[in-house]
Amino acid sequence: MANSNLPRRIIKETQRLLSEPAPGISASPSEDNMRYFNVMILGPTQSPYEGGVFKLELFLPEEYPMAAPKVRFLTKIYHPNIDKLGRICLDILKDKWSPALQIRTVLLSIQALLSAPNPDDPLSENIAKHWKSNEAEAVETAKEWTRLYASGA
Amino acid sequence: MGISWSNTNSNSNRRRRNNYPPPFPPPYYYSSDAHPPQLPPPPPPSQPPPPQGYYFPPTNPSTTPYVGTHPLPPAPPPQTHSFYYSNGYATPTAAAATTNAPNYANRLHYHPYYANQGAPAWAPVRPPVAAAAAAAPPPYVDHQTTKKIRNDVNLHKDTLRLEIDELNPDHHLVSFVFDALFDGRFTIYYLAKEEEKCRFIPLYPDAFAPISFPFQKGVGQKFCQPPGTGIDLGFFELEDLAKPSPEEDLFPLVICAETSMRTSEDETSDGSTIDASPHMQITQAVLVKSNGIGPFEVKVIRQILWIDGVRYELRELYGIGSGSTAADFDDNDPGKECVICMTEPKDTAVLPCRHMCMCSECAKALRLQSNKCPICRQPIEELMEIKINNDDK
Repeated sequence: MANSNLPRRIIKETQRLLSEPAPGISASPSEDNMRYFNVMILGPTQSPYEGGVFKLELFLPEEYPMAAPKVRFLTKIYHPNIDKLGRICLDILKDKWSPALQIRTVLLSIQALLSAPNPDDPLSENIAKHWKSNEAEAVETAKEWTRLYASGA
Repeated sequence: MGISWSNTNSNSNRRRRNNYPPPFPPPYYYSSDAHPPQLPPPPPPSQPPPPQGYYFPPTNPSTTPYVGTHPLPPAPPPQTHSFYYSNGYATPTAAAATTNAPNYANRLHYHPYYANQGAPAWAPVRPPVAAAAAAAPPPYVDHQTTKKIRNDVNLHKDTLRLEIDELNPDHHLVSFVFDALFDGRFTIYYLAKEEEKCRFIPLYPDAFAPISFPFQKGVGQKFCQPPGTGIDLGFFELEDLAKPSPEEDLFPLVICAETSMRTSEDETSDGSTIDASPHMQITQAVLVKSNGIGPFEVKVIRQILWIDGVRYELRELYGIGSGSTAADFDDNDPGKECVICMTEPKDTAVLPCRHMCMCSECAKALRLQSNKCPICRQPIEELMEIKINNDDK
């Protein structure tokens, strides 16, 4: 049973996420697996994702917090650092993970990534190319995708 | 009151020399007996460096400790206890001081001079760390515990000022805030060199004789040098006043605070009194004029404790709130809990970056998996467990 022997840190993080949610972010654990979180991130204002509601899944592996959480977008998003499977290119989820980081700080970083796409370190080659060759047009596409897939409907 | 750590690993420095990857950044050191002039100056650290210099134990390296003050938080009552650490060492790196887990997108970087507000301090000494073989196995990390020494008098280094004597516009007067558990005296030196046993010799004794002033015990006192006793700094080159020479132990401004004879409670455990060696706190500073004009600004470079014949250097620890002890641990205060388990109070600091961020259990677990500080990702060279005793208040 996945919920037995849940480390106190995970319980505490969960409680704090629920009692003091970060602005524009909600995360709640799944009922049958307390290591699996359903996450929603609101598209940051003044980004192409503004107005969108993005669903993600977050899983805390057995080694957490010595290993990073696994996070993935479930909502389709047009972003150079997020691929079509929703995987995210973010250093703190890889080699720059630190056990001092938390679910909250990870999600805040993802929210920040939406505000600051980095086409120089792409996960999605095509989108990155689009971003670099014609940023205005890429941003329009991102807005369009936000309307189409992340309208919250 | 007080904080202490004891050396449980007296042979570790020798082992360490051979087991570490090149330290980051490379340390330098000096000794009051022997200055190694062949050592290069420290490279610029990648993060704001603490202002202090480095210290190599002048006596037996296995017993010479280092120390940290506990600078006063802005509001809580002043304290004068110190951190003491045997067999440790430091490097010039210091970085994000934080009691909260860092948000990657918004990491905190503290200037060392401001980082002590609300955070106690420590002062490491370190033996030289030889550049070791690069491909070291999982690095050996010292895990040491602490023992306490008490600082009887503490000059608040961020309050040290040099003001113009209004009666003698060419002359400058020293002022600062201090705490003292006993009566004692301050001695002010200009361009003074540290000799053995923490004695200070002015370079120009005829022109600038040391001057002493008595003080009485009490916390949060302001010392203002009386008008007419100041010094005309026009004799000095501005360059000389602005330049610390830690490798020569020479500093433009040195303030030595010593308490008078100590009380019976300071007797050693076997009943014999410690001989009359004074208890001193020494503050070493440079005097800077921005663009060569305007008033002098005092920048404290280093603080030293001299207690019962042992010299300690004061350094700050980041992330150790004044209440971060097991006794008053609040389970719901994220600032006091270990950043890894978020359960136990933090009691272990990472060296050389000085982030007090973990409990000892998590520190032990972490070092098996990573050699990076959880807060700043700098390599861990040593873990220091700080036991805070509240039973001797």
